[in-house]
Amino acid sequence: MWFYRSPTVVYGDDALSFLESIDMKAVLIVTDRNISKSGILEKVKAHIFSPSVETIDYIKEEPSVDEINDAVEKIGNFKPDTIIGLGGGSSMDAAKVILFRLSRPDLDFFDLTPLSYLGIKKNHKFIAIPTTAGTGSECSWAAVVTDRNDGRKAEMASPEIMPDFAILDPSMVSGMPAEVRRNTATDALTHAIEAYVSTWKNPYSDSLAREAVMLITSGCAKLHDDPENMEYNSMVQIGASMAGSAFSNSQIGLAHALGHAFGAVFHKPHGLSVGIFLPRVIEFNDVSCHDRYEEINSFFSTDLRKENLEESVKSFLKFMGLPLYVEDAGIDVDEYMTRKKVVADLCFESTGIIGNPRDVSRSDIDKILSDMIHK
Amino acid sequence: MVKFPSKEWMDLYVERLKSNDIYKDSARDWEGDITFVCRADGPLKNDIAMWLDLYHGECRDARYFQNASDAPKSAFRYIGPFGNWVKLIQGQIDPLQGVLTGKFKLEGPMMKIMRYTKAAKELVRTASKIDTEF
Repeated sequence: MWFYRSPTVVYGDDALSFLESIDMKAVLIVTDRNISKSGILEKVKAHIFSPSVETIDYIKEEPSVDEINDAVEKIGNFKPDTIIGLGGGSSMDAAKVILFRLSRPDLDFFDLTPLSYLGIKKNHKFIAIPTTAGTGSECSWAAVVTDRNDGRKAEMASPEIMPDFAILDPSMVSGMPAEVRRNTATDALTHAIEAYVSTWKNPYSDSLAREAVMLITSGCAKLHDDPENMEYNSMVQIGASMAGSAFSNSQIGLAHALGHAFGAVFHKPHGLSVGIFLPRVIEFNDVSCHDRYEEINSFFSTDLRKENLEESVKSFLKFMGLPLYVEDAGIDVDEYMTRKKVVADLCFESTGIIGNPRDVSRSDIDKILSDMIHK
Repeated sequence: MVKFPSKEWMDLYVERLKSNDIYKDSARDWEGDITFVCRADGPLKNDIAMWLDLYHGECRDARYFQNASDAPKSAFRYIGPFGNWVKLIQGQIDPLQGVLTGKFKLEGPMMKIMRYTKAAKELVRTASKIDTEF
């Protein structure tokens, strides 16, 4: 027995106008300063006819426990019936946790787990509007929050924080900066590949992962020369949301476990952090899921596909301008060698390793981390 | 073959757990006792409990209770009917998916468990390696 879960996905040109059909009386928008300054926030607000709209527009990248608690405090007595997460994964994840905190102020911050019913969405509608194409947060029931006290990224999850609606309007992502585009697309590709070989994989996640790999790799190949193209942006945007739905209905794997730990220690963007490990993880896992890797490789864009998945992923990373070794990510080797034990410890505590197709020991993690520097 | 549930099965389980290096490694910071509760179902006529004192990758003590209500309070309780325990031990149910699908109930600080999912998996894998009779 297992489940397939998904929000209602509204996509394509003018998808934002769907907001006009939703009955909203008091709306809380959770976003970041860049979205606020860029005019995207106003563009979204133009479709909201609610008499009461409040905005939290200072969510930072990789939001922390304290920042989210601070936002909840500032919301004060405002009682939204609708919460909108607008932005990249950080804003959408923050909105998920704010939804939890507003719904269940009686619970502890870290009680947000999938292991028990929390009764979160009784009084709220929850809408996610991504402005990047990668995290898939709009279609997932996971949220990553930085726990600065513990120096880790807390992987929080509950089916109850999955958005009711995911609105994918290509105009939201067409102006994405190049660095954001390459990091988020790499994150999305990693979601799809890890979902496809997870021990929790299933026919629903399989079909989404295959299509996601095709859309993401083909879309990125085409966007390279035409970054504003709406059709290509829409391909990557939809592919990323499919990849989000794939891993949300299956599981992430070792590349995410390593990436979360690496990102927490070295403060590198999430997409770079998971992508840099993906080729080594594929090499490590290959003995357990070689046929599955061959299958998913066949869905790579012909522009980027190589003879096996590991080489195809390397070709994708090079094409996107992302590093394959830690030195190339601007990390000092001595510092890396000193702190990689912390990465290994955090990785071993990640939920990402339980769904990995090959069993992972601490020495396996040490080996992969050691292989991340130029010989 | 050892019959499940029984004290003999639990003793063998603890012995196997003690020699499971992957469990030791993944639970090396774990502190907290756990009670496995097997609810009456099918051939099992009353609820039984197995209490394990788990600390830093070791099982320091274990007790079997023919009547689950006699078991001491513990930090965590993993509860399910006999039929689901059979499937869990036979590897047909993943321990975490078992909770997510309502086949098992977990009581205790959930976030702590989420950081030790690897250890939880090893706890179950150890059980699945015992030649068990149901």
